[in-house]
Amino acid sequence: MRVNIKNTITAGVDVGAATAKTVIVTDGKILSHAVIPTGDSVARAAEKVTAAALEEAGLSMPDLGFVISTGYGRNGVAFANKAVTEIICHAKGVNFLIPAARTVIDIGGQDSKVIGVREDGNVSDFVMNDKCAAGTGRFLEVMADVLGLDIEEMGPVSLTSKEPCLISSTCTIFAETEMVSLRAEGRTREDLVAGIHRAVASRVAVMGRTVGYREQVVFTGGVAKNIGVKNALESGIGLPILIPEEPQIIGALGAALLARNELS
Amino acid sequence: MESMKRLSDHLATRVKELTRLREGGTKLIGYAPGGYMPEELVYACGAVPVGLIRGGDPEPVGESAAYVPRFMDTFCRAQIGYRMLGEEPLYQMLDLLIVPVTDHNIKTIADCFNFFAHDDVFRFGVPHQKDEHAFEYYLAGLHALREKLEGFTGNKIDDAHLREAITLCNRMRELLKEISLLRKSEQPPLAGYEFVKLNHASFIADKAVLIDALESVLQELKEKPPSGAYGPRVLLTGSTLAMGDYKVLEMTEAAGAYIVIEEFAEGMRHYWENVQPDGDLMEALADRYFRRRQPPAWFRPSRERLDYLIELARDFNVDGIIWYQLLYRSSYDIQSFYFEKMVKEQLGIPMLKVQSDYDVSEKGPLRTRIETFIEIMKAGRRG
Repeated sequence: MRVNIKNTITAGVDVGAATAKTVIVTDGKILSHAVIPTGDSVARAAEKVTAAALEEAGLSMPDLGFVISTGYGRNGVAFANKAVTEIICHAKGVNFLIPAARTVIDIGGQDSKVIGVREDGNVSDFVMNDKCAAGTGRFLEVMADVLGLDIEEMGPVSLTSKEPCLISSTCTIFAETEMVSLRAEGRTREDLVAGIHRAVASRVAVMGRTVGYREQVVFTGGVAKNIGVKNALESGIGLPILIPEEPQIIGALGAALLARNELS
Repeated sequence: MESMKRLSDHLATRVKELTRLREGGTKLIGYAPGGYMPEELVYACGAVPVGLIRGGDPEPVGESAAYVPRFMDTFCRAQIGYRMLGEEPLYQMLDLLIVPVTDHNIKTIADCFNFFAHDDVFRFGVPHQKDEHAFEYYLAGLHALREKLEGFTGNKIDDAHLREAITLCNRMRELLKEISLLRKSEQPPLAGYEFVKLNHASFIADKAVLIDALESVLQELKEKPPSGAYGPRVLLTGSTLAMGDYKVLEMTEAAGAYIVIEEFAEGMRHYWENVQPDGDLMEALADRYFRRRQPPAWFRPSRERLDYLIELARDFNVDGIIWYQLLYRSSYDIQSFYFEKMVKEQLGIPMLKVQSDYDVSEKGPLRTRIETFIEIMKAGRRG
């Protein structure tokens, strides 16, 4: 796509492991956003989700002055002018919404990250887990499946737990085994789910210590929609955590904002 | 560059050439890298040394599971895999394997080649502490190696041949170092990736062909006009930088940074110091390969190597450090934890630690880390 300098409308397209998101902005204002499952094709998901966001804003492709892609699929988005890593985009997006943010915890479908953010929105340091599903959204999905729960139910269910289970394995497979035996012992669904949240949170809390947790801590990514994980993280790091209204679109928002910088 | 092409053409036919030499009675002597095996001794008895430095492929790592536990250094597992898979010709045509034993990972290469493939293997010890006893111990190892080589080839290693071999290897190291140092310039005339390929070629190529090519490369680079491109400068260090394992180099340089120095046994340790051929030549070898080896031999105390790296980073004026670690090489892994702290405190530049098990699935996340790291360096330069 050619760069349209006259146009100040820009888009960020974040193609993640589980979902694709597009955010459209113009001069510091979010015009629209869309989220769809990534499915089997990065290229198709990027096109579809961007078309949806454009439609919502009443715009079409030629109206976009610059497009930045991000996420695992960032290099597969043909209509993007540039690809930037999701770590940079998350820092930028959080910095825009919550300027006081100095640490971002991002837990997505396939990996988790702790990002140090400078005052100007640049990344100061980061750490990333991608070796296994431990401490990711995928871990929660597997456990929800074992318990026959909807992923959205997990957060609320865990809030009523009186005594969360101790799940010591960080490996998804072993943790599943552990949970199955805890269930056989008669532990309640609430305690099991709360235990799972703790397992995810403690894994991420330890991982991020090399970066350090500085206030304000902000939680993004699809897993941030889970109130149980948020609470477990707060007690894990000993600091309050803020969650943006749409935690899943922060990477795409950051990409759209960075795209705006490319025009000036 | 024309001379680089000549060198890669030579490498492409090297296996054929070595096969012919071997049929003519020349012994091919393989050795495990680590920087403790003086090639000079091999040349001096009329044999040809071949460094076992191939890596980066997933198949041999998978294959090694039949011979060794998984929880061992990836590079060492790969060496065993290459030997057992039988698809890498250089690994199948060695008459003798020399292994300077530094740790259990390296030692296991010796054990597996010997036990499972019935190869003739010669081991000698590398001391862990550096003191005068250590020097004597290492020197005794070199003497034992010399005896082994003389017996094995039937050729006596005399001073004249040894001196000739030292001159040859010194010339190679001198050229590699001079080319490497061109990267101290604000606009390096060659990419780290290109330099590493030259350096790796030196483990396998015929030395005369290599030296000839390096001389032309040096000349061509000196005449090359500056590119005008500036990018963040990176020191690459870690455990092993194998031949063929170029993903970190490629990704880093594709994202607009320059790798200006590589601190590895398969990097600068290979060419940084020369042998000073005065007095007893065996002592001169031990002096170069152990006492004066840069960075300091082995790492007990660890601090010596880390202090050296800090100085190196200053000397090459780098904007960041990438620590490339293979899985389960714990001696290095342990160092990385306190080195990162030292880098922050003493240099105030960022460090990225990346790990690999030569696995295909690593590439996406690795690229994300490297690209982000380069953005951090760029932002650091601006602000």
